[in-house]
Amino acid sequence: MTLKLDQSWQAALDKLKTWARINSPWAIHFNSGSCNGCDIEILATLTPRYDVERLGIKLQGSPRHADVLICTGPVTRQARDRLVRIYEQMPEPKFVIAVGSCALSGGAFRGCYNILGGVDQVIPVDVYVPGCPPRPEAIIDGVVKLLAKLRGADPSDTPVVFDPDSAGEAAILAGEDPVEGPAHAQQEEEAIA
Amino acid sequence: MSTLTALMALLFFPGGLIILLVGLAYEWADRKLVARFQNRIGPRWFQPLADIVKLLAKEEVVPQGVHPGLFVTLPVIALSGALTAALYVPVFGLAPSYSFSGDLIVTVYLLSLLTLCTGLAGANTLNRFSLIGATRTLTQLFSYEAPFLLALLGPALAAGSWRISAIADYGADRWLILAQPVGFVVALIGLMGKLELPPFDAPEAETEIVAGALTEYSGRGLALFRLGKGVELVVGLTLVAAFYLGGVANPIAFFAKTLALLGVLAGLQSLLARLRIDQTVGLWWRYGTILALVQFLILIVWKGLAA
Ligand code: SF4
Repeated sequence: MTLKLDQSWQAALDKLKTWARINSPWAIHFNSGSCNGCDIEILATLTPRYDVERLGIKLQGSPRHADVLICTGPVTRQARDRLVRIYEQMPEPKFVIAVGSCALSGGAFRGCYNILGGVDQVIPVDVYVPGCPPRPEAIIDGVVKLLAKLRGADPSDTPVVFDPDSAGEAAILAGEDPVEGPAHAQQEEEAIA
Repeated sequence: MSTLTALMALLFFPGGLIILLVGLAYEWADRKLVARFQNRIGPRWFQPLADIVKLLAKEEVVPQGVHPGLFVTLPVIALSGALTAALYVPVFGLAPSYSFSGDLIVTVYLLSLLTLCTGLAGANTLNRFSLIGATRTLTQLFSYEAPFLLALLGPALAAGSWRISAIADYGADRWLILAQPVGFVVALIGLMGKLELPPFDAPEAETEIVAGALTEYSGRGLALFRLGKGVELVVGLTLVAAFYLGGVANPIAFFAKTLALLGVLAGLQSLLARLRIDQTVGLWWRYGTILALVQFLILIVWKGLAA
């Protein structure tokens, strides 16, 4: 009896924790050798045009405050130690989003003598967002994919890749189209039909 | 029975759960207003709650080189200081739970406890950003504390009492903002300095020094500091509204007046750019303190003539 009560309490507590984590992903941005193209897109994502604060996303300065490490660019030999250090400074539970082709595989810089490859060569990556550079919508969708993964509470560590065809995940989670708003999206759909 | 009411006052209202939730709600209102001023949609209503729950559920990293006991207890002291201050002010327009002559001074010092703990927390770590943040936090504390206190002493002097409830009663009959406009402005801006809101956010300037004194805090500690700030926001707004804006005699007046003040604060936040720390100190000592002192002098002379 007591055990059962404990379990239900535990379940409720876990639910609350997951809810809070999904609704408050604080991010930190690290450039491990990017050409700055991806970084500018990340900054564009933070502008009032996209207003990620309505999804609870906030850019933090300190890795100690962050939940999500948004990493851009290939990992250079110079940046490797810093990247690992930043990752280790983040408190558990922590997640990593690799943004841009370079962060995925090394991209344009693949094979260079000073490059170790993608971010996943150094730290575990949860979500990959391809593009050179990816649009802000794709970056938001990457975060939303991560949150969906959290919500599913799927313990398997299969990474998620942003798929341009399924854009609109963000819309489902936020209850509206990320940029255009619900009315506009509907109009577009009607126009296509 | 009295133990029961005391426990209720400490744990639930006004020194406990309710004030924490109201603090979160006010933080949301502040963030939402700033977002609207910046032409954004802004956070959802449960955002501060989600932030706090998430932080509480996170790992707390105790970095190397800190005094672990101090590191763990400072956030607790900060939050309890803010919560204790809530016991002495008329939150929600109800009479304060505890009151003695001189509680104004105690409340002002309890409100400073949060800033002091933040400064100590920064100085406790080896992180250079924390250290700079701590220095700036404490510098700012010394710059706004005197004018803020003077601004609250103006109504106290007019009412002839150091007891918050007596001053609030005196302020309920008249709008002291008309008689002491300088005091009102200094008190409001002092509150912004206390809460490290822009333009006084040099101590936690994320574009220069990462996150200021709290850079090394994660999880629980950060959550407690944030909760403390929310409580301090409510307590500070209550004090200013009760002293200067014709009192907070009932809950409706309380919410209307404090939320109006919050709107002014949010407007100033989105309007003004960050001041350098030397500019902050200069502003407070050259203008804030002098003006508050001049008003103080006029008050004393007035009282002397009237007597
Ligand atoms: S993906 Fe493209 S924009 Fe991004 S860092 Fe690589 S080259 Fe630059």
